[in-house]
Amino acid sequence: MLQILRKNKIPYLFILPFFLLFFMFQLIPTVWTFYISLTNWKGISAPEFCGFENYKKLFIDNMFWAALENTVVYWISGLIIIMFLAVAIASLLNYGHLKGSTIFKTVTFLPNICAAIAMGLIFRMLFDENAGLINEVLKAMGIGKVPWLTSTTFSKIPVIILNVWRNTPWFTMIIFSGLLNIPRDYYEAATVDGANMWKQFCCITLPSLGNILFFCSITLTVDSWKLFNESYILPGPGTSNTSLFQYMYESGFNIFNMGYASAIGVILILILAGISVVQLIARRKQEKI
Amino acid sequence: MVYRRKQTTVSFLIHTVLIIISFLCIMPILWMCLISLKPSSETLSGIHSIWVSDPTFENYRRLFETIPVLQNAFNSIFTTIMGTVTSLFFCSLAGFAFAKYKFPGRDFLFYFVIATMLVPPETGAVPLFVIMKKLNLINSLWSLVIPRIATAVGIFYMHQYICDVPDELVEAAKIDGCKDFMIFIKIILPVIKPALASWAAVTLIARWNDFFWPVLYLRKQVKYTLMVTISLLPVSEGLSTPWPVILSGTTLVIIPIVVLYLLLQTLQKAGAMAGAVKG
Repeated sequence: MLQILRKNKIPYLFILPFFLLFFMFQLIPTVWTFYISLTNWKGISAPEFCGFENYKKLFIDNMFWAALENTVVYWISGLIIIMFLAVAIASLLNYGHLKGSTIFKTVTFLPNICAAIAMGLIFRMLFDENAGLINEVLKAMGIGKVPWLTSTTFSKIPVIILNVWRNTPWFTMIIFSGLLNIPRDYYEAATVDGANMWKQFCCITLPSLGNILFFCSITLTVDSWKLFNESYILPGPGTSNTSLFQYMYESGFNIFNMGYASAIGVILILILAGISVVQLIARRKQEKI
Repeated sequence: MVYRRKQTTVSFLIHTVLIIISFLCIMPILWMCLISLKPSSETLSGIHSIWVSDPTFENYRRLFETIPVLQNAFNSIFTTIMGTVTSLFFCSLAGFAFAKYKFPGRDFLFYFVIATMLVPPETGAVPLFVIMKKLNLINSLWSLVIPRIATAVGIFYMHQYICDVPDELVEAAKIDGCKDFMIFIKIILPVIKPALASWAAVTLIARWNDFFWPVLYLRKQVKYTLMVTISLLPVSEGLSTPWPVILSGTTLVIIPIVVLYLLLQTLQKAGAMAGAVKG
C-alpha cells in the first residue's frame, strides 16, 4: 500500500487538494449535519441528544410542508420551462441561414451573467402592483392589475420567471454545443428521404442530445433544490415563496435552531440522493432499450 | 419555387422570434440603467418610466453615501480574483493528474469526484458555519476562497480538455528530463489556455454573483461583498430607500460583469464558451 503511494506520489499529490477540501468542507459537514439533526442544539449551549424529535416536529410543521411544496413547484416548473426553452432557442440559434448569429448568441446569454440578487430587485420593481411596468403593460392590453408579490396565488410567478430568465441561457449554451456535434449529413440524408423539419427534430436531434439532456436535467434538479437567491429576494406574503433551502437557512441563522435546520438539511440531502439514483436507474434502463 | 418561398418565411420567422427573445433578455438590464439615471422628481410608474428627460448621477452619489461602496467593491474584487486564480490552478492540476497519469484507483477516484457534485455543500451550512468559526474565518474573505480552491466541476472540465492534449507532448518533455510539476507549468498550462480562459470567465461570473456564502460567513458591513450590501439596500434607509438608488446599486453590480463578458467575448473566438461541456 505504502509502496503504491510512494511510486505514484506525484499524481496523488496533485489531486490531494480536492480530497482534503472535500473531506473538510463537504464530508465532515454532511456527516455532522446528520448528528446535529438529532440534537436540540440552539447555537449557544452544548447540544443535547434528543433522538428523532426534530423530524417529528418537521412532520407536523406547516411551514416545512409549504416550503417543500414551493420547492417542488420551482423544480418542476423550472425543469419543464427551462428545458423546453433551452432546446427551442438552441435549435433556433443552430439554424443554418441565421444572420448575426454571434450577436444573438451573446445577447441571449446575457441574463445568465447577471446576479440573481440584483435582478431580483429589478423584478421586484417590474412586478410592483401599482407602479410596475408589467402591470402597466397588462393594463394597456385590457387586463386588470395583478397583485404579483402580495397575493399567495401569484407570488411564485415572479420567482419562476426570474429563475427561468436567468438559467435558460446556460442550458441553451450547453445544448447548442451538443447540436454542433450532430453531423450535418444526418439532416441531409433525412431531407433526401423527405422528412420534414419536425420529423428531423424528433428523430435526429432529440435522440442525439440524449446524454446532454440527461446531464442538464440532473444539474437543473440539484440547482432547483438549493434555490435560495430568487425566493430570498422576491418574498411573497408569509411563507408562500420560501424555498426549502431558504427555510433551512432561516431556522438555522435567524432563529438559531441549529438542530431543526440540520434536520431540514438531512431531508434535502436524502431527497437529492434519491432523485439522482432514480434518474441514474431510469437512464440505465433507457440505454438498455 | 414553392420550396424557396417556404424557406424565406421560415428564415423570417426564426429571425423574428430570436429578436423578441433577445429583447426580453436585454430589456430588464437597459430599463435598470435608465431608472438609475432618473432624478427623483420624475415619475417611476408605468410606461412613462422609460423616458428620462433629465439624466443625473444624483442616485449614485446617494448610493455612495448610504453604503461603503468602495470597501464592499474591494471585497468583491478580492474574493472574485483570488477565487478564480486558485481554482484555475488547482482544478487544472488535478485534471492533469487524472488525464495524464495512470495510478491505482484513478477511475474510481474520478467518478467519486463527479459524484460529489450530486450533493451540494450548501446542505451542510450549519456545521460549515461552525467549522469556519473554529478556523477563525467568519468575517474573513478567505472563507469564500478556501473551500472552493478545487471544485469537482472545474476538475471535470479541465480533465476533458487535458485528455485531448497529445500524450507525446508529455512524453517528450519527460525524456528531456522535465519534472512533473514543470511539465504542468511549461507544457500543459500554455496548451490549455483556451480552456483556462473560458473556465476563468465562468468562475469569475459565478464568484462575483455569489450570494449565499457571503451572506452566511460575512456578518459585518465592512466585510460584506457588493452583492450582500445591495441585497440590504431596500431596508438600509429605514425601509424607504428610493427605487432609483436601489437600481443604481444593481447597475453597479451588473454592468461591470456585462462589460467584462462582452470584452472576453470579443477577445475570444466566438463559441469557445460553447465548448464548455462536451457530450
